[in-house]
Amino acid sequence: MAQTKRKSIDGGGGDKAKGKRGKPGGKKQKKGADARERKGPRLPNVLRKEVERLNPIEDEDIDSDEAEVYGRDFYEYEEELPEEEKRKNRRFDPVENLEYQLPDEFEDENVSSEDDDNDMGEAGEGGGEGDDDDDDDDDGRQGNTRIPAFEGKKKRNTNVVVSEAYPESEYNPTRDTLDGEGPVSIEDLLNPLHGKTGYSKLRKRIHHLEKKSVPTPAPLPKADQEKLERMAAYEKSTEELRKWEPIIKRNREAPTIYFDDDMDLRSSTTSDFKPRTEFEKKIASLVYDDQVKDAHLKDGSRLLELNKVSAEDERDRHNRMAKMRSLLFRHEMKSKHIKKIKSKTYHRLLKKDRLKATSAQSQMDPDAAKELAMKQEYERAKERMTLRHKGSSKWTKRIKERGIDVQDEGTRAAIAEQQHLHAQLTRKMNSMKDGSSSSSDDSSDEDDIDLYSPGSDHARAAKLLEKAKEKTHNVLIDDDDVPNSGVLSLPFMVRGLKKKNEAAAEEAKLALQEYESWSNPLEDSSGADNLKVGPPSGRMVFNGSKNKAPESSNKTKADNKMRSDNYYANSDSEDDLEPEENVDVEKDRSSDLYKDVNISAALLHEDSQNHNDSLFKNFGDIVQAPGPKTTHEVSIFAAGSWKKIKSGNSVDANGKKSIRPLESVERNQNLQERVDDLDEDSDADSEGQMVDGFLTSDPKDEYRLPSQAELIRQAFAADDVEDEFEKEKQEVLNEENPEPEKPTLLPGWGQWTHVQKKKGLPSWMQKEHEDAKKKREETLKKRKDAHLKRVIISEKLDKKAEKLFTKTLPYPFTSKEVFEQSIRMPLGPEFNPASAVGALNRPEVMQRPGVIIRPVEFEEVNPQGKVEDHKQSGKKQKKKNKSNKSKSGSGKIVTKVKTKLKS
Amino acid sequence: MLSTFSVSRILFPNIQSLGILTPKLLNLGPYTLDFTSSGRHMAVGGRKGHLAIVDMKTMGLIKEFQVRETVRDVVFLHNDLFFAAAQKSMANILMTGRYPYIYNRDGTELHCLKEHGAVLRLQFLKNHFLLASINNFGQLHYQDVTMGEMVGSYRTGIGRTDAMQVNPYNGVVALGQSLGTVSMWKPTSSAPLLRLLCHKGPVSAIAFHPNGHLMATAGKERKIKLWDLRKLGDEPLQTLPGNAKTLDFSQKGLLACQLGNGSSVQILRDLDGNQTYKTYMNHGMVKGFQIEKLLFRPYEDVLGIGHSMGWSSILIPGAGEPNFDTLVANPFETSKQRRESEVHSLLDKLPAETIMLDPAKIGTLKPERKKEKPTKQEKVAGIEAAVEVVKAIKLKKKTKGRSKPSKRTIKKKELIAKAKSPFLAQEMKEEEQVARKKQKTIEYVETPTSLLRFVRKKATA
Repeated sequence: MAQTKRKSIDGGGGDKAKGKRGKPGGKKQKKGADARERKGPRLPNVLRKEVERLNPIEDEDIDSDEAEVYGRDFYEYEEELPEEEKRKNRRFDPVENLEYQLPDEFEDENVSSEDDDNDMGEAGEGGGEGDDDDDDDDDGRQGNTRIPAFEGKKKRNTNVVVSEAYPESEYNPTRDTLDGEGPVSIEDLLNPLHGKTGYSKLRKRIHHLEKKSVPTPAPLPKADQEKLERMAAYEKSTEELRKWEPIIKRNREAPTIYFDDDMDLRSSTTSDFKPRTEFEKKIASLVYDDQVKDAHLKDGSRLLELNKVSAEDERDRHNRMAKMRSLLFRHEMKSKHIKKIKSKTYHRLLKKDRLKATSAQSQMDPDAAKELAMKQEYERAKERMTLRHKGSSKWTKRIKERGIDVQDEGTRAAIAEQQHLHAQLTRKMNSMKDGSSSSSDDSSDEDDIDLYSPGSDHARAAKLLEKAKEKTHNVLIDDDDVPNSGVLSLPFMVRGLKKKNEAAAEEAKLALQEYESWSNPLEDSSGADNLKVGPPSGRMVFNGSKNKAPESSNKTKADNKMRSDNYYANSDSEDDLEPEENVDVEKDRSSDLYKDVNISAALLHEDSQNHNDSLFKNFGDIVQAPGPKTTHEVSIFAAGSWKKIKSGNSVDANGKKSIRPLESVERNQNLQERVDDLDEDSDADSEGQMVDGFLTSDPKDEYRLPSQAELIRQAFAADDVEDEFEKEKQEVLNEENPEPEKPTLLPGWGQWTHVQKKKGLPSWMQKEHEDAKKKREETLKKRKDAHLKRVIISEKLDKKAEKLFTKTLPYPFTSKEVFEQSIRMPLGPEFNPASAVGALNRPEVMQRPGVIIRPVEFEEVNPQGKVEDHKQSGKKQKKKNKSNKSKSGSGKIVTKVKTKLKS
Repeated sequence: MLSTFSVSRILFPNIQSLGILTPKLLNLGPYTLDFTSSGRHMAVGGRKGHLAIVDMKTMGLIKEFQVRETVRDVVFLHNDLFFAAAQKSMANILMTGRYPYIYNRDGTELHCLKEHGAVLRLQFLKNHFLLASINNFGQLHYQDVTMGEMVGSYRTGIGRTDAMQVNPYNGVVALGQSLGTVSMWKPTSSAPLLRLLCHKGPVSAIAFHPNGHLMATAGKERKIKLWDLRKLGDEPLQTLPGNAKTLDFSQKGLLACQLGNGSSVQILRDLDGNQTYKTYMNHGMVKGFQIEKLLFRPYEDVLGIGHSMGWSSILIPGAGEPNFDTLVANPFETSKQRRESEVHSLLDKLPAETIMLDPAKIGTLKPERKKEKPTKQEKVAGIEAAVEVVKAIKLKKKTKGRSKPSKRTIKKKELIAKAKSPFLAQEMKEEEQVARKKQKTIEYVETPTSLLRFVRKKATA
């Protein structure tokens, strides 16, 4: 307002009438200004010009302008009237009304807008300087600067009277410029814009500029500047970071951080789903059907209506389902069947396995063997009844008549099978025949009996021996009849024959004796259990049968026979014969023959058999036959009594020939001895056994020595065990807490020797020593075994085990006891309720694969609430952590902030 | 030559009468036994070299062979696939085998552990996969059977002993001594953890209760003693008469010991639950049988007795744990399960350091070192205390201007300095030591002067 008034006054042309303007706002200021102006010293004109040039905005220059223009001096000390009113010259227009009112429109346009701007703009700048305030507070100079500018402007605008000789141009500058006050001021440039739209703003800015036009100080040195900058930046960044602290802290202290809960798959997969294929389109049309949508929106009743299915449809569906089900079922059955079918090789292997199993079983188990035999016998009987293999049936005859070549394959195969069977059977018969031509019916009967009565081993053995005896007798008797004619009747031949016979008789006698000795143990073992120590039945039978035919006791033949017998005897026997040839035969027999018999016994028996057979053989052969050379002793505990059975025979090459009876006796003695021995000391006994057994070394001394040492130790050990222990304990204590060294004095060191001698050890040394001693005693007292006489507990620290202990007390714990108590509680599901287990051993970070981990977002965190959360565990954490945060994320933020600050 | 087959036939004829299975063996005994942890398989070793593995479910022989050497002990490793036998050849110079061997179940020799020497007893620590042995010189060896590394080898200095037993609770090995002491060892220390004077005569057998807190020892002075290992004292919990060469605790805590002249077995039981053992059963063997080893079969009420004529098993009602945990030991394990459990047990293998008297201590705060340095605070506190003491001293009033305030202050200052000086000297000393140590480490890096002439000089171009 004040300004406008001023303007209006200026417009009135009153330059010097500042004091009189009468406006309460402007007056005071102007007065001050005027006072300064007027009362100032008078300057010479040149000087003044200079001043004006330097300070062109001051009102003096305007005054001086005027003075120049009109050649008059306005600057008087005492001046009563303003010039306008004096009207001394024509400079001022005659104005009737000094209180000039601006036209309405002008006022509306400018003043109001300026005021508004001022109010707003100034408030924004925080200066709070309205124009009135400005005028009030600012020093006079500012007031001066402003006012004359307007005045000048006014003057230029209004001063129409003054005219130049030449129009103003650059060749003809105005006087102002020529005078040196030429530089165009901003006001000058600004003034023409007055009244334009952006004016007020522009003016204000310039005003602002002017106000601040304090001379800018010299810039700080660069280093300082940068330091300040850094400081500011640091403050800023710390502030920024501090904001994150509670969040980070919370995340750090959270037992578990979750990264999985804001996963929203639906939006990603189904939001922009558009049906593409026909099927999809169809579905979409059904789903997004308007009717359906409406129904959904309204209520369920309409939906029900829409859902109606006709009975026909239902029936169709039912049928379809039934069909599908049956198809499925059939398919299933088929696949099951297919799955069941196994390959040819599988069946072959299976069959093989089964055969093996049965054979093994039959070998092991008498019952199974019996069963098998029965079965085979049944088959044989059946074959005998049907005589299928003979080819004598009507059908076969007819086929033969018609010719086999004409027949179809099936028939041919059947015929072939019959023939094969026939061949097999006949071959078996033949082999039987040439194997033991002499085997009579009763022997075979006997064989059968033997086969099926495993319990009667003994009887058989006895029988066998009987037979052997009989045979030898026969031989002895046979030897008696001497041929009367021929070469053999020649005297030397007779003599030779006699000698031979005698030798044979001798041997026969020996054999008899042996048989006797054999029969004794057999009788002994009559009560023995199922251990088969007797000779196996099968071979016995064959031997027996062979022995029954004394005519054929030719050496070689007997040998052969034995061989052939072996066919039936055992595939395990050491004479290796081709078992392939008579597989079926073996199958028939061998399994029956060897039921429970252990092999070595069989082998032994074989040897004895050899004896039987080869009465006429030289013994070298026998020795060559590989038999076990050990004495096999079996001790059996049965029914509380001890029995020892000799199931072996030592076939010693040297001890064999002559001393058989003696040996047998000896053996018996031995047997008794051993039983005795066993009662006394089984150890020594067994060692003896070992000596003539397969362990050739003599371990007797070996075993004796330590036991003797032991005895000595035992004898002297227990003398003063406790003293020993006491000593040991002292040693340990000394080792773990060594005794302090005794104080020693070097003669002449520290003191004169005579003083040393007189006073002895200095007191401090003694004290030190005593202290150390006391300390040691204390530590010894603190030991766990201090009060225990018979216990030493080592207190050595194991360095290797140190890593298994906790080094320092973990954070939340304050005392060792509490911590140790806490770790004593197990975490496993066996010891905790299911609800607690999850919380107890949940991993630190829970993340579902494929979930993007976003950086931390800022949020207000209540630092008080956080502590609470820290103490809680498990589920509450889960809730709290829903907004995903991570340490890494926060780290990222920090770096981001830093980069920002740098740039 | 007598084939082994014959032995097997005699070993297992089809006798299974009334729970007492007593096969006789041909004086290859006395026999020692071991069961797998599930009790499914048994290894028997006859003194005269007869080794066999038996499937105890089917009572079928798996493998049997003759090693022709004295067999001292047999022990199964982690499952029935492997077992170790302590062997010694029969004083033959040419056959110098006196080592433990590891065999697989087919009887194939896999390893010969020569470092162990002539071993008297073997024990296997199945949680740590360690094979522990004591040889006739009293050397204790621990060998890791997974990698074959020798974990520990110590001279125990206790002489020849064949009383050795592992405490199943903590893996500590107890050795009996001829002087009546039982010492306990771990693989990471050369000194015994514990020595306990148990008997006046030599210790002949040791057994541990499965919970590891109760130990039974037998001495040659015809005493059997029971000890509580949690609360060691001079006196045993209980002393029983008996000259036992072998002892064993069952899973349920029955104690089997051999009695008399070695041919009868006594079973003791803690009837009241107050650790007083009383006779529960007696079993007399045939006279003349020397019992070598008593071993309860795990998860069965059966006691296996290895004796001079073979082995017998007798029924002891209430001996075995009735409910087995298949994750721990499965008597009905299939081969697949066995493989699985083998892998698991290997993954769960405990390091040898974890063997200690009280394994519950693992994870607790480290025990304080005996000689620990005082902390800085303590040092400062010590100095301050000394200074305070000095300050509290009232100076005597002295004449001739010697009690002037200026003199007094000087005197006080001197006193304080004197009080501080030992602490400071100590500090200096420590610093010096540290510095010296540092120097030493540096010196170690440098080659000794005597070798300097061999150091190749760098080409100085």
